[in-house]
Amino acid sequence: MAPYSSVISPQGCSSSSSSSCAGNKPSEIDGLLAGAGYKVRSQDLRQVAQRLERLETVMVNAPDEFSQLATEAVHYNPSDIASWVDSMLSEFHNQPEFSDPTNYINPVVVPPLQADTWSNENVQHCQLLHPQQQQQLTVVATIEEDSGIRLVHLLMGCAESVQRGDASFAGSLIEEMQSLLTRVNTVSGIGKVAGYFIDALSRRLFSPQNACAGSSVENEILYHHFYEACPYLKFAHFTANQAILEAFDGHDCVHVIDFNLMHGLQWPALIQALALRPGGPPFLRLTGIGPPSPDGRDSLREIGLKLAELAWSVNVRFAFRGVAASRLDDVKPWMLQVNPREAVAVNSIMQLHRLLGSDPTRGSPIDTVLSWIKSLNPKIVTVVEQESNHNQPLFVDRFTEALFYYSTMFDSLEACTLQPEKSVAEMYIQKEICNVVCCEGLSRVERHEPLVKWTERLNGAGFSSLHLGSNAFKQASMLLTLFSAEGYCVEEKDGCLTLGWHSRPLISASAWQTSALPDVGCLPLATIENTIL
Amino acid sequence: MAGSNEVNLNESKMVVPLNTWVLISNFKLAYNILRRPDGTFNRHLAEFLDRKVPANANPVDGVFSFDVIIDRATSLLCRIYRMAPEDEVQPSIIELEGPLSNEVVPVIIFFHGGSFAHSSANSAIYDTLSRRLVGNCKAVVVSVNYRRAPENQFPCAYEDGWAALKWVHSRSWLRSGKDSKAHVYLAGDSSGGNIAHHVAMRAAESGTEVLGNILLNPMFGGMERTESEKRLDGKYFVTIQDRDWYWRAFLPAGADRNHPACNPFGPNAASLQGIKFPKSLVVVAGLDLSQDWQKGYAKGLMKAGHDVNLIHLEQATIGFYLLPNNNHFYSVMEEINSFVSY
Repeated sequence: MAPYSSVISPQGCSSSSSSSCAGNKPSEIDGLLAGAGYKVRSQDLRQVAQRLERLETVMVNAPDEFSQLATEAVHYNPSDIASWVDSMLSEFHNQPEFSDPTNYINPVVVPPLQADTWSNENVQHCQLLHPQQQQQLTVVATIEEDSGIRLVHLLMGCAESVQRGDASFAGSLIEEMQSLLTRVNTVSGIGKVAGYFIDALSRRLFSPQNACAGSSVENEILYHHFYEACPYLKFAHFTANQAILEAFDGHDCVHVIDFNLMHGLQWPALIQALALRPGGPPFLRLTGIGPPSPDGRDSLREIGLKLAELAWSVNVRFAFRGVAASRLDDVKPWMLQVNPREAVAVNSIMQLHRLLGSDPTRGSPIDTVLSWIKSLNPKIVTVVEQESNHNQPLFVDRFTEALFYYSTMFDSLEACTLQPEKSVAEMYIQKEICNVVCCEGLSRVERHEPLVKWTERLNGAGFSSLHLGSNAFKQASMLLTLFSAEGYCVEEKDGCLTLGWHSRPLISASAWQTSALPDVGCLPLATIENTIL
Repeated sequence: MAGSNEVNLNESKMVVPLNTWVLISNFKLAYNILRRPDGTFNRHLAEFLDRKVPANANPVDGVFSFDVIIDRATSLLCRIYRMAPEDEVQPSIIELEGPLSNEVVPVIIFFHGGSFAHSSANSAIYDTLSRRLVGNCKAVVVSVNYRRAPENQFPCAYEDGWAALKWVHSRSWLRSGKDSKAHVYLAGDSSGGNIAHHVAMRAAESGTEVLGNILLNPMFGGMERTESEKRLDGKYFVTIQDRDWYWRAFLPAGADRNHPACNPFGPNAASLQGIKFPKSLVVVAGLDLSQDWQKGYAKGLMKAGHDVNLIHLEQATIGFYLLPNNNHFYSVMEEINSFVSY
């Protein structure tokens, strides 16, 4: 039964009938509760009701302990009422009055996701259309009336011409748009975003080979300003660090593998959190992967040294190793020198999508990388990705999706007042737009895919979801209150967190673990190269 | 709870279907965790636990939705729900705000419930309810994401409601009928019903047209402990204690429950006589402990000379309209449909 069925005629259900009136088979999810956002199997309804009742009894009889549920307990997967109630019940230590001890559920850390088909059903149908962005365009259109709408229509038309191969018509549309731009406000809103897309289309038509250039130094500068101007990267780091911290609990030797070190902005916070860990910090190894420096500097090592200084100042034993690689699928697991005794965290902030392009010489880079990640037997893999589908086969679809996605992102950037961070952050975003619109083949690296596709891919590669709980959610929400702009919102979905602007998710953070042990023979036995200060 | 150590939930279990019981009990327990005794609210956890759904411009069962920012200064968002035109597959940008027909299309401004503190316009339960309203009444629904207590107390929610009403009247694309105007109704459940009343008051005072009010289990109260409150305390998901908490969270510091926001026909309230107040449909659930206040509200409107249709559903509990698995749901939907039709 679809969650949104419109009202037809009364089905004459008596008030004491059990389960929904939808005629579900018992092993199916209750359709009406699904429409309310909850997953409960029809056959489990009675049991869940019993547990709710038990929780309420506990509430009444131990109100002080119950109040701790709010402050100390970590909540997971609120959609799954059964496991949520169980985890609440397990917070209570003594249960003498319950006569049926077999019903007392031990804490289940991660309830396995119900059939993926259910989570697909729950996902919005709008793979092609994202109304949240349309809302941006719609609101702006009411200010600029025809011009804004006309620009969007011209952009779509131009994208279609490009896809058809009609370069001359596309060119004439670009001219028309450029002249329309002179009559529209380009400081903000639709005019600004349209400007970037017109520019990107024009590059695609007239100078594709120059479109995607950019040195690694340039990239680092753009990245840093994007980091400062808006909360997306900070959210990514916060959320990943929280999950890594929890995964490292109880381990004395830990090893973080960062797929894109950049300036190592993510790691000071983790180092400090580990320093403050009750029971003392572990021995922390950090392996930072990054592109080779063209000028012979060892920029990876420089960052490593800075982080080592910080770690030394807070008494965290620390070792750093840099791995220079221009592509992740060039990295071989032996380069990472993982020690079987250590707990490994693999951290990928917007890197996996770069592996989705393939050509005959490269096979499938994403499969290569996912399989060597698995072979490291990591305790946790943190994945942050843009929440959009910019990897669709048809150019027009990618273009449309990108138009809406980046409109929302630019809109959120309006809230930033820091300069030059804001302007340089716009250049960072512009580079992404250019790559999505102008490039093809291996040089198109911005192949963003939404969380639902990553979930499929990671599940298929032998990873299962590690739910991010209410602690991570709370951290992320608190982070947002530091930004004066209202409009950012964090949401939980199937154990993952998304950060978005006005209810349109723009970036997703998720955590994964291997679902089965690999062959022991794959683990390299290595000695640790010491860079300890 | 009412002070006894034994928890007796059998009464509530006997009057609602099992899935409804699970849904509302789950809310009850979660909300209990969120309310702190000192009057503060665990907003982070509330947002984490709340099941939300995005808007969807692709029609599902003939209804599509999209979000609009009404006021950037207060981040006031609303979600618009519309019937999809029958011949077309996907709305494009212009058509999201395409004109309504020459026939009258009611525009229902909906204020979700949650006792002023919980839920949002994009909460799954309210997204679903709004869609059902569209399908049922062939109306446009504008669901308002008003600011919530305790962070935003009286009169923030009312201001947001008023802003939404002005906004709806200012949209040319929401006009319909030969008289080419927006045919606006205000609707809400629980705190949303309370908001609808107060926005209608302001509309009446300022000459803004509202054709009718639809109040589902509206949230009203007062200092007195009424008979229904005492009789039903703790029996059907709701306690006097939690009602008190929410009023304390919403009403300004120093106010008591006879504040006119809470008690519009109480000792501190202005008279409604002689003002152009819209007709009202007031739905009262017979197992809601607030029913004496709700019936008192309906009586107060009638005494002031206003048109009221009071529907008392004997065996209904709060939240009966959240799942379409009981007769009350369908009969109320029919009443609402008649109410907004000409």
